[in-house]
Amino acid sequence: MKISQLPVRNLTRKPGRTLALICLTALLALSVFGGSVVVLSLRSGLNSLENRLGADIIVVPSSAKSQTNLKQMLLQGTTGYFYMDRSKLDKVIATDGVEKASPQLFLASLRASCCTMPIQVIGIDQETDFTVEPWIEESYTRKLELRDIVVGSQVNAGIGESLRIYGVNCPVVARLASTGTGLDTAVYTGMDTLRLLLDAARDLGHDLKISGDSADVISAVYVKVKDGCSVERVADDLAVHVSKTETVQTKGMITGVADSLAGISSTVTALIAAVWVLAFTLLIIVFAMMARERSREFAVLRVIGMSRSGLAGMIRKESLMIGLAGGLAGIALGAVLVFSFSTLIEQKLALPYLTPSAGTLALLAGLTLLGTTAVAMLASARAAGRLSRTDPGTVLREGN
Amino acid sequence: MNKRMNWGACAALIFSLILTVGSRTFLGACAHEDGSFGACHWANQAMFGLGILLSAQSLAALPARDERIRMGLLIAEAMTAVLGMFIPGTLISLCKMPSMVCLSTMKPAMLILCAVILLATLAGILQARKRAK
Amino acid sequence: MDIRAEGISRRYFRRTGEANYFEAVCRTDFTVEAGKVTVLLGRSGSGKTTLLHMLAGLLTPTGGKIFLGDTDLYSLEDKALSEIRNKRIGVIPQGRSVIDTLTVLENILLPAALYGGESRGQEALEWMKKLDIAHLADSRPTELSGGELRRVAIVRALAGKPEVILADEPTGDLDDENTALVLSALRDAARDGAAVLLVTHEGEAKQYADEVWRMNAGTLTREERN
Repeated sequence: MKISQLPVRNLTRKPGRTLALICLTALLALSVFGGSVVVLSLRSGLNSLENRLGADIIVVPSSAKSQTNLKQMLLQGTTGYFYMDRSKLDKVIATDGVEKASPQLFLASLRASCCTMPIQVIGIDQETDFTVEPWIEESYTRKLELRDIVVGSQVNAGIGESLRIYGVNCPVVARLASTGTGLDTAVYTGMDTLRLLLDAARDLGHDLKISGDSADVISAVYVKVKDGCSVERVADDLAVHVSKTETVQTKGMITGVADSLAGISSTVTALIAAVWVLAFTLLIIVFAMMARERSREFAVLRVIGMSRSGLAGMIRKESLMIGLAGGLAGIALGAVLVFSFSTLIEQKLALPYLTPSAGTLALLAGLTLLGTTAVAMLASARAAGRLSRTDPGTVLREGN
Repeated sequence: MNKRMNWGACAALIFSLILTVGSRTFLGACAHEDGSFGACHWANQAMFGLGILLSAQSLAALPARDERIRMGLLIAEAMTAVLGMFIPGTLISLCKMPSMVCLSTMKPAMLILCAVILLATLAGILQARKRAK
Repeated sequence: MDIRAEGISRRYFRRTGEANYFEAVCRTDFTVEAGKVTVLLGRSGSGKTTLLHMLAGLLTPTGGKIFLGDTDLYSLEDKALSEIRNKRIGVIPQGRSVIDTLTVLENILLPAALYGGESRGQEALEWMKKLDIAHLADSRPTELSGGELRRVAIVRALAGKPEVILADEPTGDLDDENTALVLSALRDAARDGAAVLLVTHEGEAKQYADEVWRMNAGTLTREERN
């Protein structure tokens, strides 16, 4: 046996004690890793929401507010539809300070079969669109033909498959990258296709509350404000000039999400801090108790010629191994829990939730491991220091 | 009654019971208003049955006098747990939308519980094997 | 090599009567000579163990110096002192003194492993046979009796062929047969040139002694032998 193996023997041959210490350090790693992944996911969800909501103002019919919560539609993907006359678009474009304006048309699919939920179908005007199109272009660069649809990452349909919406077969030509928002559960298509679907729905006897031709309606107008113009001013102007409409400022929506995120962040941080203080204190106590229990063992090692620094080194190595093992176990457990229940977490928090990149996760895991190991070694350092200061003779006498 | 406790079997029993009770309560699949049942409902039923089987196997393994009998029971339980990991999604298909409760909650919970039961039974098998020698 | 104490004393802080300390070992000179077995007798609490710990470099004396040959032990850094204790001094402490997480053989070979010296496997095996614990080599200490543990500690100290052997009640847990075995083993070590100090409260050890000292309330007196 080599002396370098002694710490390993000490750990493996006292499995109960070692397991308890590993569990304690695993708890440290689990709390900080799991908590941080959730907070980081919320943060990247917010970023992606900001990126995807390229519009400053969304103009919807005043009836929309009573029917659907636009925020819920965007964040959680609840379905909704409302319509206004196409002429509103021209009035929006004519308003001062509007740089770009693009219409969208909404439709909610029926529950197609068992175990599928109604899907929001969004029609965009490919000529003028500046919000969804850049996103679609990430995965599909050609123009959408009639009946072509593009699906969000949460819609369970592969490229080449078809979705049957109101009796119309629509081939899926692309799947979009995940945004962590309600936009992921929607299906996107061109204006023409959506009109086709609207007509199909009406033919099937669904009352969509549209008077007249489906070609004359739109659901919302997405507006980008000119640089230097106040978004509030333009929104006010729009409310005045375009009758029977409501304006929604996306900034307010994002600020709302950011506020919730800040609240959750601080709660999670407080929880992590509480767990760490508790576990650190416990670790110090456990190491102190262990040092007392093992004081005779340590004195014997001194008797046979182990130096103070050698003894301290042995204790350091033991706590290093415990820290590493506990850290890895905690990170693994945290990863299993957080990643397998990510959809559930997203639903419960009702906020955009997008898992960070693999690089970020690896960095986070590394930092967690480092922190946990440092804490385990720190907790044992006190015990080791006290031990090596006492004369082994004194300990041996006390033990008798 | 064996004086020496098999901790693996004990842990397996606890998690099997959680699985059984869970499949009837917080891990249930969604029901439809019209009373029709989807595949996820039948997957949930299978989970419930498996949970009872797993619980019974751990219950039988706990008081076994002969360590080799205990080992046999635990091996059977380990394989049942492996089967359990294949039930939701693989052997019985689930819903189409990832946001549905069967995919967001039931499937991961089932996988994790079965994995934990598998680990616990493996630990129990090792413990029994050591004692049988 | 001789081990020599010059004017050493040790006080412990403890309230006893008038003073707030008590003298466990009063100022004394003492030598354990090479090639001899020196027996130190005395009632328990008389300061024998304190003296032995000071000689072993395990307990800093309140006053005085300890020399191993020409080396002043307590003038050394902890590292150097530890290495001397490992290579040149064999200590058999009182009571239980094995590491529970190691097997008997690993315990015995541990001192050699500490400083990566040559393996003492051969010597160890011979001593284990001599003290009748060879069959326990792969056992764990928790499976052993008190007497067997004692003999493990003795073999551990002897296997390194130390120049000085300091044994604290080595026969405390042993029956007559094993006591004789251990005492003659220590006798053999002295014959091979080691300085052996045998601290005990049993008079029986006297028959193996070349020199006998007695300790009473911290004061050493040499017993004249006929």
